[in-house]
Amino acid sequence: MDDIRYITGFEKEFPEKLKEIQNPPAGIYVRGCLPDESKKSVAIVGSRQCSMYGAKVAEYFGSELAANGVQIISGMACGVDGISQKAALSAGGSTFAVLGSGPDVIYPKCNESLYEEILNEGGIISEQPPGTAPLPAYFAQRNRIIAALCDVLLVIEARIRSGTGITVRYALDQGKDVFAVPGRINDPMSAGTNRLISEGALIALNPDCILRDLFGSDASAENTSGNESKEKKIPRRAGIAGKEKVIYDLLDMYPKKTDELMSLSGLTLQDVHDALLKLRLCGLAQECGKNNYVRKKL
Amino acid sequence: MYGSVNSLAMIGLEARQVCVEADISDGLPVFDMVGYLAKEVNEARERVRTALKNSGIHMPPKRITVNISPGDIRKNGTSFDLAVAVSLMTAMEMIDPSMTGGMMIFGELNLQGKVMPVPGILPMVIEARMRGFKKCIVPLDNVEEGSIIEGIDVIGVESIEETLLYLTGKILIEPVKNDLEDLLLKNGKTENADFSEVNGQQEVKRAMEIAAAGMHNILIIGPPGAGKTMAAKRLPGILPALSSKECMELTKIYSISGLLSNKDGLVTCRPFVNPHHTITPQALSGGGTIPKPGECSLAHKGVLFLDELPEFSKSALEILRQPLEDREVRISRTHGNYIYPADFLLCAAMNPCKCGYYPDRSRCSCTESDVKKYLSRISGPLLDRIDICVEASRMGFEELCKSSEKNESSETIRKRVEKAAAIQQERYKGTGIRFNSELRSRDVEKYCRLGKKEERLLKKAYEMLGLSARSCHRIIKCARTIADLDGSEAIKEMHISEAIAYKSIDRRYWNG
Repeated sequence: MDDIRYITGFEKEFPEKLKEIQNPPAGIYVRGCLPDESKKSVAIVGSRQCSMYGAKVAEYFGSELAANGVQIISGMACGVDGISQKAALSAGGSTFAVLGSGPDVIYPKCNESLYEEILNEGGIISEQPPGTAPLPAYFAQRNRIIAALCDVLLVIEARIRSGTGITVRYALDQGKDVFAVPGRINDPMSAGTNRLISEGALIALNPDCILRDLFGSDASAENTSGNESKEKKIPRRAGIAGKEKVIYDLLDMYPKKTDELMSLSGLTLQDVHDALLKLRLCGLAQECGKNNYVRKKL
Repeated sequence: MYGSVNSLAMIGLEARQVCVEADISDGLPVFDMVGYLAKEVNEARERVRTALKNSGIHMPPKRITVNISPGDIRKNGTSFDLAVAVSLMTAMEMIDPSMTGGMMIFGELNLQGKVMPVPGILPMVIEARMRGFKKCIVPLDNVEEGSIIEGIDVIGVESIEETLLYLTGKILIEPVKNDLEDLLLKNGKTENADFSEVNGQQEVKRAMEIAAAGMHNILIIGPPGAGKTMAAKRLPGILPALSSKECMELTKIYSISGLLSNKDGLVTCRPFVNPHHTITPQALSGGGTIPKPGECSLAHKGVLFLDELPEFSKSALEILRQPLEDREVRISRTHGNYIYPADFLLCAAMNPCKCGYYPDRSRCSCTESDVKKYLSRISGPLLDRIDICVEASRMGFEELCKSSEKNESSETIRKRVEKAAAIQQERYKGTGIRFNSELRSRDVEKYCRLGKKEERLLKKAYEMLGLSARSCHRIIKCARTIADLDGSEAIKEMHISEAIAYKSIDRRYWNG
């Protein structure tokens, strides 16, 4: 691990944003590069055990923001963190992971390939020396660095009590804008974000909301990529008709079972299966769990 | 003074003819038994002596030797008691040797001289007829079981006294005759669980219908309390009715396991075997020094239901691979090999994750790696042998309380299954294949031709859904069954898309 650098708070390279917070780290270990301070960055955080809805929203925001040149900062955890970073990378953007373990310790293991990709397109940052095991206490501390490195914090999905809450507190203390994605009021997975909104967080209805906040209102006028992508979707959806359309309209981001789709659509089981397969083959639907289906894209 | 009668020694499901000889000669009073006997056979000495005494027959104070020949086959079980007693009585010249010619005798004795039932009567009677014997004396409690074999008189006796009277011609006991076909017709339809009692779960019912029609192994995934076990219990009821040959095979197995009820003496319904998940590999496959049929042989021609599949020990599940492939269990011991048939439909049930609620994130708090870890407890090779996978979902209250009158009965479903089974039988005549699930890859090419349109659909699914070659194969076999249920010779797009929906889980794809 020769490529791990240690940057102390006295060096020029040390991120300005990190110096501004109340208890800045004495130094940070970096693999790859540091976020470009001339560019805007957004931290996307959320539950590790996110729902399909959370996963899709994270993917959507991650890729749209990255496509608009925003750097995505996150914790490379399972769930929302990893998904948004993966989406940012596949949209051709850059993303930075702040770890709670040493910069050479990949945690969780399932994100090993993501770790390698982030090395190429962004960087890995950690306050802990190389070889440090991922201990719970380090994660709360690393959340303050995530909050510090971003311009805007976006919370995708969170339960009432969660690690995300710590990140939000740090961001507010540091005077950052906090966006939250609303969810259904009875959904425990969105209870945290809904409460944030009721307490005054900004509402992230689409990536444009965040882009407007970052670049000012005129930027979004030029930047019509959000609308464009919507237009792109329409002709794809126009291709489906008949029972496929009926089923597609019934699908959303919350997993629906085939039995449910059957009784809602009034179609026979065979027809539902047929329609679902066609939708899956057009990339419009996706199976999550056995015989549970969601829309592939928002 | 010498006497001898014929009997049989069971070795697994096979029977070997033995001769029980008795000799009474001058010398010190002693009663000896020889012939490579197991402990329980040797103990017959005491049982026979006391039983004879209590029946008013006193053995002479002479040198008595009983031999069960041939001497190199290990004799087990208690079915020799009555034969030893009769051969002794012949040696004591109470019975004329000509009376026991062409006759086989089985039965255990108690100290009072009563004849007690023994396991394995059916295979023994079958063997006796094959060896040209005309008559069998069996315990009265086992007479129904033996009575279904044609061409041999089966006589049930209650005690030594009755046997003696019968063999000396003082009383006449009519042989019991039962017709197998009649019994099957009478009892074959008494199922206590019917599919009409299952509300909702359309998808599970449909998947079970397909599984039954093509004998595809099935895996039901669902949260606790969704009705997985309830549905599985009804699976034997929609399988085609037992044929007389199948009934015979099955009764043989239950007979040597001593599990037949005395009432009808026959297994007329397809078995549903539901072992607990702590079961040992030996209990599943059959074990012991003298191996007895295990649970998977008891599920022969029926359903082996493994609830909470991931909780079964790895070694127990691995045991299933051979019977699933060869449809029999082969057990080797020092004194011989035992082969028990095990042609069952495997029905397994499991939760989608440790807590049971994935992908319902409002209730499930398992991490993705927890879910993966839970699934990986099932070995790939076993999963490869499961063609159909379906989810049983929790029902809403309205659905739960709906009147069950509108639901299809098992009878209706079974009619369709039987039709599909008949189509398969016709198609695979003379090939040794009975059901679509048994097709090998070259058979798939031959019997499951796809049209251009269908092939295109499958190709697209193969690429888009990341199917493996093996799962593709299973999808085609399953589509073949769906087409057969539909009564269609050609496999249509519709059938393929339904088969894909039931494709078995594959870990890589689980999280979408």
